[in-house]
Amino acid sequence: MSSAASSRVGAPVTVTGVGVVSPIGNDLAAFDDALFAGRSAVRARTLDLPGVELPAVPVATAELDATAVIGPSRVPLDRGTAMALVAADNAAAHAGLVAGSFDAERLGVFWGSGMAGATTFETTCRALYAEHRRMRPTSVVTAMPNAPVAEIALRFGARGAALAYACACASSAVAIGEAMRAIRAGWIDVAIAGGSESLLTPGVLASWQAMRVLTPLAAGAEREASAQRACRPFAADRAGFALGEAAAAFILESIDHARARGATPRFDLAGYATNCDGVHITQPDAAGQARAMRAALHDAGLSADAIGYLNAHGTATTAGDAAEAESIASVFGANGVAVSSTKAIHGHLLGAGGAVELLAASRALAVGRLPPTANVERADPAFALDLVTGSARASAGLDAVMSNSFAFGGTNAVLIATRPRR
Amino acid sequence: MTSPTFAAISAVLIEQFHLEAGAVGPQVALDQLGLDSLALMEFVFAVEDRLGVRIPEDRLDPRQAGVTLEQFALLLDEAIVAKASGNVVSG
Repeated sequence: MSSAASSRVGAPVTVTGVGVVSPIGNDLAAFDDALFAGRSAVRARTLDLPGVELPAVPVATAELDATAVIGPSRVPLDRGTAMALVAADNAAAHAGLVAGSFDAERLGVFWGSGMAGATTFETTCRALYAEHRRMRPTSVVTAMPNAPVAEIALRFGARGAALAYACACASSAVAIGEAMRAIRAGWIDVAIAGGSESLLTPGVLASWQAMRVLTPLAAGAEREASAQRACRPFAADRAGFALGEAAAAFILESIDHARARGATPRFDLAGYATNCDGVHITQPDAAGQARAMRAALHDAGLSADAIGYLNAHGTATTAGDAAEAESIASVFGANGVAVSSTKAIHGHLLGAGGAVELLAASRALAVGRLPPTANVERADPAFALDLVTGSARASAGLDAVMSNSFAFGGTNAVLIATRPRR
Repeated sequence: MTSPTFAAISAVLIEQFHLEAGAVGPQVALDQLGLDSLALMEFVFAVEDRLGVRIPEDRLDPRQAGVTLEQFALLLDEAIVAKASGNVVSG
């Protein structure tokens, strides 16, 4: 089954299956339930660091027994890789992507992760330095950044491509976008694309805490309640974010390929753009973000007013939200598009964020409702944003949605999804 | 073979490497477990760590054809005895 006329640059690529492992659910029913209710999965976590006294941090954990996941290589799996495999398996099942329904040489895997292998690396180093135990023979292949993509490629026998993208918080958005480009270019027919991240280890959490971007928690009896509402994107009293862990996978296909095997299109990927601020290692740049959003609109052949919902990057940091509010207003006009940030409930998923938030945006398309930005009592009055807060907003005519991912290092990635137009 | 050592071997193969219990027997050779050379080394390390001993490298090359789980257990038992008599530093 080779590519045909629809696989040209600018053509939409269709998504025929999705899979997710996340703090707000491991199937679409649970995910939707928490997403549209704005129910936070963020909790307080104390750090197990002997000899180091640090305050508890807000984290959002996925419910998954990673030790029960069997990888095709039979070597131990990092927790993030186990989550990636489950998400990819579920996406393939959702799409009916079974052996014989595709040409393995035209199947690619495109995967994003900021710190894949973080759990294994920290655990093994701790064993070596603190417990004076030897390293395991599989430490390298379990912890390497391309372990998730390699295990997924092995699982499905992919022969077309197996590419790992590490650009911090934009990793999985870039992976999905590059998979879309590969299909458009006719290099492959089908892609398993997405991202995973599981780095809720004491050392990594302490590193983020040292950067002072995690919301400080209240002490005593108020601690747990303060953790649940730790992330307040675009709010006047925003104070940082919570870290989370997740994986989300999508089956991308050329429209002809999906049609030929009788697959059901769930939504289309219509536009993608990535660029770089080229300004600062951490500080966001509204101009760079705006260029990325405009480029994605151009790629999709859509004007800004065609977008009915924008899932913002929305980290709830002082500088991050201010820059994004400015860039959104410059592209869409003041209050020009309905916006929410779902990080309030699932935490900052780093390399998996773009994939999970594309899923959130696609669920808005699927059900015609916009997920709220949880935890916001008063939006920052300095922002000219139509921020969806409180409860989900009905949006019956919703036809196109955008998802923003902006990374440390300056990488911006923007994805646009539409209802299938066939 | 029902020794505590063989029980530890079985437990690692079933719990960590997800082998069926029926596929784990004393006469099964290491190279018949369906594990590649890297996974075999991981398996040996895991059993050694579980029992708190190390088999000297010159006594076992798990990639060598035909080494059975029973022979592996006997080597582990030797290491346990050596450790108890203070001859070997455990891992």
